[in-house]
Amino acid sequence: MSIVPKETIEVIAQSIGITNLSPEAALMLAPDVEYRVREIMQEAIKCMRHSKRTTLTASDVDGALNLRNLEPIYGFASGGPIRFRKAIGHRDLFYTDDREVDFKDVIEAPLPKAPLDTEIVCHWLAIEGVQPAIPENAPLEVIRAPADNQIYHQKDGPLIDIRLPVKHVLSKELQLYFQKIAELTMSKSNPSLFKEALVSLASDSGLHPLVPYFTNFIADEVSRGLNDFLLLFNLMHVVRSLLQNPHIHIEPYLHQLMPSVVTCLVSRKLGNRFSDNHWDLRDFTANLVALICKRFGNTYITLQSRLTKTLVNALLDPKKALTQHYGAIQGLAALGHNVVRLLVLSNLEPYLSLLEPELDAEKQKNQMKSYEAWRVYGALLRAAGLCIHDRLKIFPNLPSPLPSFPHKGKGKLINTEPHKRKLSVDSSENRSPQKRLIATDGPNGGPSPMQVDKPMGDNNPPQTFVQPSSSEQASDGKEPESRNAKEKEGSHSRAITRKAILDQIWKDDLDSGRLLVKLHQLYGDRILPFIPSTEMSLFL
Amino acid sequence: MDPEQVDEFVMGYLKKKGFNSAAKQLQEALHHNNGGNFNSTDYHNDPELTKLIRSFSQSENDPTRYRDGYSKLRSWAYNSLDLYKHELLRVMYPLFIHCYMDLVGKGHTQEARSFFNSFRKDHEMVHLRDLQKLEGVLVPSHLEEMEFARSLRQSKVNIKICQYSYDLLLQYLHRTESTLMLGIINEHINFQVYSGQPNSSSDDIDAVTIVGSFQETADHVNQKEIQWGLLEDSLEDRLEKTGSLLTDSEKGQGEKDGDMDDSKKRSSEIGKQGSSIKKLKKDKAGNATAKVARQETSTVSPAPRVKPELALPVMSTDVEESILEDLRNRVQLSSVAMPSVSFYTFVNTHNGLNCASISHDGSLVAGGFSDSSVKIWDMAKIGQAGNGALQSESDTNDQIVGPNGRRNYTLLLGHSGPVYSATFSPPGDFVLSSSADTTIRLWSTQLNANLVCYKGHNYPVWDVQFSPFGHYFASCSHDRTARIWSMDRILPLRIMAGHLSDVDCVQWHPNCNYIATGSSDKTVRLWDVQTGECVRIFIGHRSMVLSLAMSPDGRYMASGDEDGTIMMWDLSTARCITPLMGHNSCVWSLSYSGEGSLLASGSADCTVKLWDVTSSTKSTKAEEKNGNSNRLRSLRTFPTKSTPVHALRFSRRNLLFAAGALSKPAS
Repeated sequence: MSIVPKETIEVIAQSIGITNLSPEAALMLAPDVEYRVREIMQEAIKCMRHSKRTTLTASDVDGALNLRNLEPIYGFASGGPIRFRKAIGHRDLFYTDDREVDFKDVIEAPLPKAPLDTEIVCHWLAIEGVQPAIPENAPLEVIRAPADNQIYHQKDGPLIDIRLPVKHVLSKELQLYFQKIAELTMSKSNPSLFKEALVSLASDSGLHPLVPYFTNFIADEVSRGLNDFLLLFNLMHVVRSLLQNPHIHIEPYLHQLMPSVVTCLVSRKLGNRFSDNHWDLRDFTANLVALICKRFGNTYITLQSRLTKTLVNALLDPKKALTQHYGAIQGLAALGHNVVRLLVLSNLEPYLSLLEPELDAEKQKNQMKSYEAWRVYGALLRAAGLCIHDRLKIFPNLPSPLPSFPHKGKGKLINTEPHKRKLSVDSSENRSPQKRLIATDGPNGGPSPMQVDKPMGDNNPPQTFVQPSSSEQASDGKEPESRNAKEKEGSHSRAITRKAILDQIWKDDLDSGRLLVKLHQLYGDRILPFIPSTEMSLFL
Repeated sequence: MDPEQVDEFVMGYLKKKGFNSAAKQLQEALHHNNGGNFNSTDYHNDPELTKLIRSFSQSENDPTRYRDGYSKLRSWAYNSLDLYKHELLRVMYPLFIHCYMDLVGKGHTQEARSFFNSFRKDHEMVHLRDLQKLEGVLVPSHLEEMEFARSLRQSKVNIKICQYSYDLLLQYLHRTESTLMLGIINEHINFQVYSGQPNSSSDDIDAVTIVGSFQETADHVNQKEIQWGLLEDSLEDRLEKTGSLLTDSEKGQGEKDGDMDDSKKRSSEIGKQGSSIKKLKKDKAGNATAKVARQETSTVSPAPRVKPELALPVMSTDVEESILEDLRNRVQLSSVAMPSVSFYTFVNTHNGLNCASISHDGSLVAGGFSDSSVKIWDMAKIGQAGNGALQSESDTNDQIVGPNGRRNYTLLLGHSGPVYSATFSPPGDFVLSSSADTTIRLWSTQLNANLVCYKGHNYPVWDVQFSPFGHYFASCSHDRTARIWSMDRILPLRIMAGHLSDVDCVQWHPNCNYIATGSSDKTVRLWDVQTGECVRIFIGHRSMVLSLAMSPDGRYMASGDEDGTIMMWDLSTARCITPLMGHNSCVWSLSYSGEGSLLASGSADCTVKLWDVTSSTKSTKAEEKNGNSNRLRSLRTFPTKSTPVHALRFSRRNLLFAAGALSKPAS
């Protein structure tokens, strides 16, 4: 009934010399004892409040006893909390840990240091409503420093309260790991080992403590090694691996990483040798940027907008080098078709007019320049083409009901095949920049093979000469197939319903139609390979 | 007592005793009565008889009946319609505590405890502190001894309830014949039935606070008239009247500030108000905000003027001049113009700092310690001139370390118990300290010596406060009284008695005619200094009141409690304007800015918060209609580094000073 058990009362009674306490009396006393204890505690809490504290101390209880004209309990007035020990063999018996101290030790011990005297230090908690970032104020983002740090402060009697920088304890192994990875990244001599390292970076679970070091490392090396193409490429691979690692929480360091990454995308000069294929690096980085945006766009709302702003600025500044423009276009293209449509296509016309003189072999004597211009042109064409392809994708989706008819097995085959080929081309573009380059440039080869081929010959002649033919083959193959498909469709009664759907979409997509027309004007026939075959037949 | 209820008792009794035929007859008679609409029996109106009938119904009380009755009603209430649920649940708490106390009162300790434990959870959220108190009551004699329990048992609770909920409840009780519950409801609950929809705000403050017997007295007391205005011929008053004249003379003296003409123009436009808007020497941005603030204030009617009821001390002219100068240089604060906060951190207090106090100009800081000492620091000497003159931090630190460990404070010894409060006289020449040794001591800061020891309280003196004009001071104590003293007499002039528990804090009204006291009985009271009468009771806090502050215009009062709630009260209506929620621990200190537009609060949760007073007071009227009051009008929160804020003071120039002791963070 009472939280004070009868036994406790009996024990207390014995301890003050009452041996013949009847159980009934103990039972009667128990509730009263509880009430009195609560009463004392209530007063003690009052004393605590008036001492402006939130922890109850022994002195508060003494104060409360004083209020009731009771003698205080002696021997508990020490500063520290009292430690209770469990009595061995008893479930709920506790005693205070009171060590026996040798009298000699006490006498011989040196006098303790006098406690530091109370002082007042003054600081600005706020100046006109703003908290200044001074060590006396709590840090704005409350990142708790390790507890031992603060305790150390307390013991030391902080006259001046200075917050030590937070110490990270990095294990020996991690330090070694970091050193090894950094060496591999820098050395560029052992590609196979570096690949292993990248795999480890992308999958190891214990790397999180190293993330700030890696971000720092990458930022440093990128800013220092802009002339070292391979190093940059390696660094971007490291970034990619870090991003891929599911155990790493990289978000807080993104703001440090992004500048380096964007540098590798739109820097004027990456690598110093002529043979450095910085286009590859830019393409790789563009995909990296897109990856980052896709992963963290939700948490950092401003990430993509800030990024596109930087890129568009780079693109629209005529003073910037063509390589920078190329990087910007690739970056934007990688961010998706909507970005391209909104930001690139709207600026396409003036930009192409600017690019025109550079493209012309007669006017632009510098072969390198002309080559760069064609790269930019190719990138633009690809971006625009993929965008319009995506825009018109609704149409190729239409035939998808076809496979549901078993007897249309042939039609399915015919219809899907060109798709597959298209897709395979697309995906290979993404995976290998080299092939992609060919795929985009391939169509160009048709109307003006001379201009394209010439500069390309500098780099990789064999592929260029092979590729146009293959892509032509592909488009050649496409033509009859699509015609074939069209015949099938026409023969099928489903064509009517499809027509209705098409009409509706046509209405919705008038603007995409216009877009197509505009692109056609700008690019001529070069845009055509991007248009899905069925759709093309509609337009033509 | 309602006739139906009496009938119900009779019915219940008859049925219990097995007089079924009699019960049937009575029922018929009742039906007949209702139909015929006349009242033949007069037992309805006879209180003696009612009591008798009730005692019959309670006569053979089996302790389990309480539990059964309560748990049945509880499950019924929880399953009732959502719309009426919160009103019905409100009834449960008084029922709960009275069931418990009845059980204890009848000696069923065992049952009482188990009853208490099984339903305690329901009420813990709102009434935790009351429950903790009641929990210890186990023997009938405790009920008599404990004031809280006694007052609960003697009084009735007012519960506002809508007509439909009331009908539902009564129907249920009648149907299930739970006469026991009905009895308790009749005895201890006073329903205020209103027609219409149930009140939507389930956390209506009036509805959930259960106070002792003084609900009715509070209503009665709060009818009294009070003069909350400022004093006639006070400095502010004089300043406003002579504002334009002063600016003229200043101009004559050749002070050439860029915006001098500007301010003069403005002052002539707005007349009285203008002069309180001082030229802000430093920044034009400040001027812009001041303009905004002025437009706001000019829409508020100025505080009325009242005559002082006390003979106030005469201020020397140079003191007066310096105050006037300060007032003229006051920075205008508003929700867009925040004050600067200067924080005095006590270090190496070894958990011994009980209180801190800052003089009106911020240059002196006093600390009261649990080792009975009072220490006074002169911040101007230490190197940080209190007001305005700012030196770099490194400078101060150098000087604080001081010359060879010689202490740089004044140690005042005299008390023989922990010092719980200290206060500076307005000019800063005297300090008063109160202690657990039941005395109050007056110290001179010029002589660094004890002048007077005031003995009168019988228990520790929790708080002491100088009046705004000095000379008089008020103290409050564990002996449940507050006392008014003057410096020249060793005995109190007035004793204010009425609180049901410790008086924890005291504060003067700006016009010196009233003092406010906050108590552990969760109320704040306002007392007339001249007559010693209680003129207002403010009910609403859920835990002990720790700090009080009066707005400079005397219209509002803020009080902070143990749970971190701050309440803003309108003195004339005794209503809570708005509860300010935000702190999550004891609010140790409150302070209004000089013109009353901001309220600063310092708390044990190691923050200083700024609250927008003007919007809180203005918006409530509009929002009352909408039903949702904007409770959080917190402007800023300034966290300190594990330093609970013990004291706050806005200087006359609106610089905010705060003080606290660096404490070990709870690990």
